[in-house]
Amino acid sequence: MSDQVIPANEKKGVSPLRAVLLILPLVALGGVILLFLATGGGLTLKSPAPVESLVVERTVLRPGEIDIQVRNAGPEDLTIAQAIVNSAVWPFTVSPDVIIPRLGKGTVHFSYPWVKGEAYAISLFSNNAIAFNTEIPVAFATPVATSRTFWSFTLIGLYVGIIPVYLGIFWFPALRQLGRQWMTFLLAITAGLLIFLGLDTIVEAIEKAAELATPIQGFGLAGIGAVATFLLLDAISKRQNAVGKSGTSQRLAVSFMIAAGIGLHNLGEGLAIGAAYNVGEIALGSFLVVGFILQNITEGLGIIAPILRDRPGWKPLALLGLIGGMPAVIGAWVGGFAPSPNLAVLFLAIGTGAIFEVTYEIFKLIQKDTAREPMPLTVFSGVMAGMLVMWVTGLLIK
Amino acid sequence: MSRKITRRDFIKATGLTLLGSFGLTGLGLASQHDHSSHQAPLIAQVHGHGSDAMPATNGEVNYQANGFNPSDILIDFDYGEVSTLANGQVLREFRLVSVNKTFEVAPDIMFPAWTYNGRIPGPTLRCTEGERIRVHFTNGSDHPHTIHFHGVHPSEMDGVPSSGPGVIQPGESFTYEFDAEPFGLHLYHCHAFPLARHIAKGLYGAFIIDPKGGRPPVERELIMVMSGFDVDFDDANDFYAVNTIPFHFDKHPIQIRVGEKVRIYLVNMLEYDLINSFHLHANFFQYYPTGTSLTPVEFTDTIMQTQAQRGILEFSYKFPGLYMFHAHNTEFAELGWTGHFEVLPKEV
Repeated sequence: MSDQVIPANEKKGVSPLRAVLLILPLVALGGVILLFLATGGGLTLKSPAPVESLVVERTVLRPGEIDIQVRNAGPEDLTIAQAIVNSAVWPFTVSPDVIIPRLGKGTVHFSYPWVKGEAYAISLFSNNAIAFNTEIPVAFATPVATSRTFWSFTLIGLYVGIIPVYLGIFWFPALRQLGRQWMTFLLAITAGLLIFLGLDTIVEAIEKAAELATPIQGFGLAGIGAVATFLLLDAISKRQNAVGKSGTSQRLAVSFMIAAGIGLHNLGEGLAIGAAYNVGEIALGSFLVVGFILQNITEGLGIIAPILRDRPGWKPLALLGLIGGMPAVIGAWVGGFAPSPNLAVLFLAIGTGAIFEVTYEIFKLIQKDTAREPMPLTVFSGVMAGMLVMWVTGLLIK
Repeated sequence: MSRKITRRDFIKATGLTLLGSFGLTGLGLASQHDHSSHQAPLIAQVHGHGSDAMPATNGEVNYQANGFNPSDILIDFDYGEVSTLANGQVLREFRLVSVNKTFEVAPDIMFPAWTYNGRIPGPTLRCTEGERIRVHFTNGSDHPHTIHFHGVHPSEMDGVPSSGPGVIQPGESFTYEFDAEPFGLHLYHCHAFPLARHIAKGLYGAFIIDPKGGRPPVERELIMVMSGFDVDFDDANDFYAVNTIPFHFDKHPIQIRVGEKVRIYLVNMLEYDLINSFHLHANFFQYYPTGTSLTPVEFTDTIMQTQAQRGILEFSYKFPGLYMFHAHNTEFAELGWTGHFEVLPKEV
């Protein structure tokens, strides 16, 4: 019955009565809010102590100058009253203003004779005498975008992303001689690698999300990024299946999605490296490079695993490598020159969503293979091998 | 630094290694290059352009709204009301009221203080050895307080919770009465518990007992009470000062003249830190610890005091100019306990 009634109404369009009924609750809601704001609704909401929150988003050092970029994450305007730099009350200016509106940003500027390589602790006092502390663990001039620093960050990205990914892709001619079971094994390894990378990315996203200003809701933001990416990639993949693409182009599409997922992961790594360089949190140890390449070479392997039985030309392979590796370079640029903690969380979340969706796609490919020929131990050992490779190479470097 | 190693640390580590081990024009090398190739003076490279910057609070406090000014406190001695008792002894009466007062300790930073007579430090009570002292105390605040004098007096006049009237409840009054002895520079403070908080909130002041016949005359007598303020209540001071306002005498130097004899009554009321100190630039002073002797014990330019220690400094300047004085716990100096004497030429 109701099935028939609803379409009947829809034909009529929105009647005036219906429009009023739709709007009425909203009008009432507005009235309640106004009433509440005007009267307090009978609640005594005066806070006994001011609730203030100030998040330091970035620190920029130039010779003789320190800039602290802050965001007011509290419920009210916040006034920066005084500042202490390494146990000395220090004069400062704030642009645009010492009063920072809710969610607004401000840059606290110090003329301060900082010394390269030393550490600085900075306390910003609000006019409610609440101290917000931040640290410069190792002081040195924040890199500015010159051709030299630009090239340096490009090099970082090359070593972290592009080179290992292409090295992995170079396995293509050798691996395509393998039999079906071995190819399934490789797919399973790829799934294992991706699960490990996905966990790593999600942990990173969560860690970073926790540092964001409370109203930004870092965890929610990460969730939106991850879920949206997962569902979007899933929809794209289903649409490709629906339009009846050949098995070959479907597998290539999976490869591209893996490349994109790994690319987003590498973007996150690039961001982290760039940002770490930006704040001077850098340690030394040359053997670490080797570990990095060892770990990331598997990413290239993962990208080509679905298309081993096909004959893609060199162009798709080159493109796959670029998609997988290039974001590390972009990430290093962004992280180095214009780091944004909010964007970093979003990128990491997108990476998480992409990696888990791609893992799901690979399992679908594996399922196609195992439907023809059951090989449960191959899948188990492959996934475990993939995860263990990541874990063991991680042991080497951490 | 004790924190767990994360993947980010690894990434950080790797980031630089890449630069280093490949020996490329990496960032680390780039910055080294900048230092050697640019012909900037060394001081600019090491210290940057901020090297002429000095610690200071941003702006000025509103002295009018505060109701007291460290420069006024410097020369404000409360001699009380004087009369003579039947036995011929001089009677000196003081009135102290404890009041809650929120004042601007540093520009834009309000501190909910507890005060005697609405100021920090409280009035500098001054009398002469052997006089009868009556301090009429009224608790005008909403917390129990006392006044505990350093000096010689009976137990019930000691101003502690465990003897005499104990703590004075809000709205109640009590008169502390004793003979002024021994001569010297002393102090008073609230002795209600928790003691550290009651002192740190501002309930203290100087108490001078002059010797009979007085000290040798000088051109200027100054009172300086050293203290600190824990504005975020973490039992650690955020700001330090003489006479309460950080950097006050830095922004408003004390003017004296060449050759003038200056006597400073210096009291340390600093809570939460073990010691405080006083250093005079480009000069030496005679030091009389606790002021209980007329013979100085040391000729120096730096002295140290723990909480409630005090002493008298005497000096004069030989050359005109601007001279710093500050705690030689330099951390305190940079957190507000710094001032200047502006020594003007002799008057003609």
